[in-house]
Amino acid sequence: MSEIAERAVQNFRRRDARDKLMGRTRYTIDRGTAGMLHAALLRSEVPSGRILRLDTTAAACMPGVRAIVTAADAPGRAGLGIADHPLFAIDTVRYCGEPIAAVAADSERQARDALAAIEVEIAPLPAVLDMGSALADAAPLVHPGWESYEVLTPGGMRGGNVAWEASVDRGDIDAAFARNDVTVVESSFRVGRQNHLSFEPRAVLAHFEDGRYHIETSTQVPWTVRNTVAALLAVPASSIRVTVPPVGGGFGLKFDCALEPFAALLARMSGRPVRLVNSREEEMTTCLFRENAEICIRSAITPEGSIAGREAVVLMDCGAYGGEQVFLTTMTAHTLGGNYRLGAVRIVSRAVYTNTAPNGAFRACNGVYNTFALERHTDEIAAAIGMAPGEFRRRNVIGDGDLGATGQVFEGDVLAPMLAKMEALRERTPASLPGDGRLYGRATTVGTWFVFTGPSAATVNMNADGTATLVTSGVEIGSGSMMQALPQIVAATLGLSPDKVVVRAADTDAAGYDVGVGGGRTTVSLGAASRSAAIEVRTKLLKVASDMLEASAEDLVMEDGRIDIAGARGSGVTIAEVAARAQALLGPVAGTGSFTGAGTPAMEGCCAGHFIEALDIPVFAVHDCDVAVDPGTGHVEVLRYRVVQDVGRALNPSAIHGQIQGGVVQGLGYALHEEADVGRNGAIRQTSFETYRVPLAGDVVPVEIELHEGAPSIGPLGTKGAGEVPILNVGATIACAVAHATGKQIRELPLTPPRVLELLLDRAQAPDFPHIGSRHSDNRLATGTIA
Amino acid sequence: MPGMLPMTAPSVAMPTSLTEALGALADHGPGAVPLAGGTWIMRSPLRREGFAPAYVGLSRVAELGKINVTPDTIEIGAAVTHARLAEALEGLPEVAALAFAAGNSANPAIRNVATLGGNLCARGFAAADLVPALLCLDALVEVAGASATNRVGLADFLMHRDRLLQGSVLTRMILPRCGRPSAHARLPLRKAGDYPVAIVSMAAGIDGSGRIETSRIAVGSVEPVARRWTALEDALAGQPLDPARASDIARSLTTGFSGREAVEAPGWYRVQVLPTLVGRAVAALASQA
Amino acid sequence: MTIRLTVNGEERDIAAAPMTPLVDVLRDTLHLTGAKPVCREGFCGACMVLVDAVPTVSCLTPLVLAQGRDVETVEGLTSADSPMPVQAALEEHDAVQCGMCFPGMVVTLTHLTTAGRCEPSREAVKAGLVGNVCRCTGYERIVDAALAVMEDRP
Repeated sequence: MSEIAERAVQNFRRRDARDKLMGRTRYTIDRGTAGMLHAALLRSEVPSGRILRLDTTAAACMPGVRAIVTAADAPGRAGLGIADHPLFAIDTVRYCGEPIAAVAADSERQARDALAAIEVEIAPLPAVLDMGSALADAAPLVHPGWESYEVLTPGGMRGGNVAWEASVDRGDIDAAFARNDVTVVESSFRVGRQNHLSFEPRAVLAHFEDGRYHIETSTQVPWTVRNTVAALLAVPASSIRVTVPPVGGGFGLKFDCALEPFAALLARMSGRPVRLVNSREEEMTTCLFRENAEICIRSAITPEGSIAGREAVVLMDCGAYGGEQVFLTTMTAHTLGGNYRLGAVRIVSRAVYTNTAPNGAFRACNGVYNTFALERHTDEIAAAIGMAPGEFRRRNVIGDGDLGATGQVFEGDVLAPMLAKMEALRERTPASLPGDGRLYGRATTVGTWFVFTGPSAATVNMNADGTATLVTSGVEIGSGSMMQALPQIVAATLGLSPDKVVVRAADTDAAGYDVGVGGGRTTVSLGAASRSAAIEVRTKLLKVASDMLEASAEDLVMEDGRIDIAGARGSGVTIAEVAARAQALLGPVAGTGSFTGAGTPAMEGCCAGHFIEALDIPVFAVHDCDVAVDPGTGHVEVLRYRVVQDVGRALNPSAIHGQIQGGVVQGLGYALHEEADVGRNGAIRQTSFETYRVPLAGDVVPVEIELHEGAPSIGPLGTKGAGEVPILNVGATIACAVAHATGKQIRELPLTPPRVLELLLDRAQAPDFPHIGSRHSDNRLATGTIA
Repeated sequence: MPGMLPMTAPSVAMPTSLTEALGALADHGPGAVPLAGGTWIMRSPLRREGFAPAYVGLSRVAELGKINVTPDTIEIGAAVTHARLAEALEGLPEVAALAFAAGNSANPAIRNVATLGGNLCARGFAAADLVPALLCLDALVEVAGASATNRVGLADFLMHRDRLLQGSVLTRMILPRCGRPSAHARLPLRKAGDYPVAIVSMAAGIDGSGRIETSRIAVGSVEPVARRWTALEDALAGQPLDPARASDIARSLTTGFSGREAVEAPGWYRVQVLPTLVGRAVAALASQA
Repeated sequence: MTIRLTVNGEERDIAAAPMTPLVDVLRDTLHLTGAKPVCREGFCGACMVLVDAVPTVSCLTPLVLAQGRDVETVEGLTSADSPMPVQAALEEHDAVQCGMCFPGMVVTLTHLTTAGRCEPSREAVKAGLVGNVCRCTGYERIVDAALAVMEDRP
């Protein structure tokens, strides 16, 4: 096992790089086929309204038009936790950009022209465009019929515009705050939305052949697409096959079904292949954003500087439909309730319906802003009790045997040694201070994330030429897990070099169920399934080799494409020879493997409405930075950025470093530049690259990185997911450093130059949330509310 | 959602002389629009404006692509790109503001095709870099019409742009060479790559003791159209080239500006940063003087 | 209307409206899908091509302005299977992730790393990349690769 793990570690280069560099890779947007039609969607231009009339007769007669579909053609509803989301607006529109009809025509131009000929009359209804309006007394309901929706996962509290409520109550929180020796610190925070801005928009090419749908799509979740299309179209899931070409960026945007059902429906109606690609404006305005959120947190701190109690309310805007946020209410317990030992804890996390574009998943979902809030709050606590922030963290970070918010017992001291490593890294990589009148600040923060394990399946086919084929439903979205970690794991197990392992692109007809690529789970879950499939192959090959070499299987080693008797290199045969012999004697050699979570226990009875109660694989991160703030313009320059990341075992250090650099830069965008908000008309205001500013080459610095290895993990060969977490505490770290530089309380992200200048001029208004009750119980639905 | 093309595709004429170009504009009537690099016009559908019914391309009209530097003036053809302009003006201190503006606008690939004329004629493009730079350099605009060719001051051109351009072509800019240093301070929200939220361009005559004799200061992107900041010009007369002092003086004179509200930045911010930009411009002048 | 231009060394006659974006002609008519129409507003650089050897965003180039000119796409930079120095350096530096920005990156860098074009410093390379957005990598490896090419060039 340990030799195999050591062999698996290497900076194996990704095999898709060359074609990507030569412009030869064919992403979904690059694919076409004979007879293909082009589709376009008619989208609502109002955030809330009743559809009085929808007439497609004239549009159907437009040149080139082959099919038009509306709500009448797609009867189902889908969702996560609650089935609240129809494919097209049925009678009611709930957000600007909501699909009303879809057209397929010979050209994209004809399809768009036909949209203009669809007659639609919508009577506007009052809209709730923010969570304050949605939670106000007598607010209009985004879903007046919410009680009638099918509940897919029981356990959450729901009511009115609260799509889902999850809570954790551990220990006697009232007693903690009632102590007469504690200092109570209270803070409120607000964050905006973040757009993934994946370069490839959501795109699909659908076929209807032999009574089945074949959907080629740019997705992270082929099985979710399969099952959701089936639910929305009310057809058997087995009638749908999903395959995935190389994906041009995901970051969570493609962690849900998107355009696939429209194209599938149009393909069936027209009998022709149909391509549907979002325009950039559609991507910008109907992006499944990282949600805007509002956070109130208070803590009771003992004279010794420990946290006797922590209480919080987190509101997450899910937009017009519940989607991912319903699930993410679970995460608050582990992110906002993470990092530190807590005496008692009481947290409620609510997904709130608004008449805005639905939000979704984005790299380290929920964790990014809760870590921002938690770490700012931590610095405020340290200031309130007169302790250095570093000292407060050292004393309070979660260690071996400590309880998490939901009462799970953590294993191993991880954060404390990582903080020590960061201190050393800081010393090795000092920042040169500007000395030009700008304000200097620095900060160190900690973060807790987790690997979302969940079911995965894999098959390894051993070919008689000594190569292996790995078949999974995993998708290569750019992170390299499918191109590097997985073949490395299989190859190390089989004694092959990783270039001898062919990885098949995802195909739901060929591989078993998989949750999808996200949450840092690819290397762990698909890796574990692949490893177990490879072990089956290994066992079979060793058995045949043991017969061939007349030696016991235990005495054989598989290495460098050979099976030899231990200690006698060259004594044996090549793996290709063994595979060929096995194939002739017994038939082709294959192995299958599967994996799901370990089911780590939480404390009985302290969670309600949670999809996961404990973390199978916690992942920790320590970030640190130095910044300079321009007092005249509010510009923040990052002078130096450092990361110590818990990776379990680093299978491919080069790939992990690449993920950290990229993830940190996405986090810098979230912290400093990227702003997306909803205008008074209910539409997202940033409709293009011009107005939505992501970091450019000049805005970034090389991240100083140290990988922390050896923390406990149930991942294959001791791995943990490494691509998700680098973004986790960037917002927190920048915010704490800017607060340090300016001496101002930072309550909001992003810290764009206007927002920072406002702070410096003392013109910033602290977030005030009249819709968040001062008593915790004001923010909880009554027990017994429909679940 | 906008289509990539309007219902009827526009026609494009590609004349090879100014006379032909003016003829083509006349032939197509008032809806016809000159087309240079295309970087603004190609985005018309994204702005929900749609294309014009007809365009008259200027890229083959040789005389519009010329730069002529004489001892007294610099003449720049309207079809000269930002990149070529930056290159041609390198090392001429009196037009440092324009060289910097042309060499740092938008991004390198846009600078390779976007033209001087396009920057001056794009309607609704408040953040155009070249406009305040040319204002501080006291540029004249030459406009050729079917019957006459006129030269007008840039400020007048900006005020009467729509009328002056009707059926006409902006042919060149004429800059006097007066040997005064100039500077262009622009403020994008990132290091570079987005349109500046505010611009201060400044040219100043410096006396023997290093004090400002007279200056021309222009402000771009703050209001819908760039304009001179005459109150600051007056207040700086006789002042030393001291960035902090200039900045302080500017701070008391910003009330006349009404900042443009837009998605990328609020109006107050554009006005608030002006003193800082004035300080930067003066620092750049001091380094040249 | 037919418009003639040279694409990757071959003369092509294109029957399309004169204001058609060049990127659509390359992708839809000539099936050269290397250039990606990502933002369609000249900010991202993913559709970058060389027009008469000058890096140009093909999304904002109307077909009519490419008439009679020499257009080179990422596909045209390499005639055979072996990568150009810029491509080899990016591969060597393990820079690629999702890959969508790289056709445009490669075109920009091929021009930028030509002798005399750009000072071999991080700052200068970053200034040259202002119009090429990458959402995955955080840029630094791309800069490393460009500098490596500049240092190796004759």
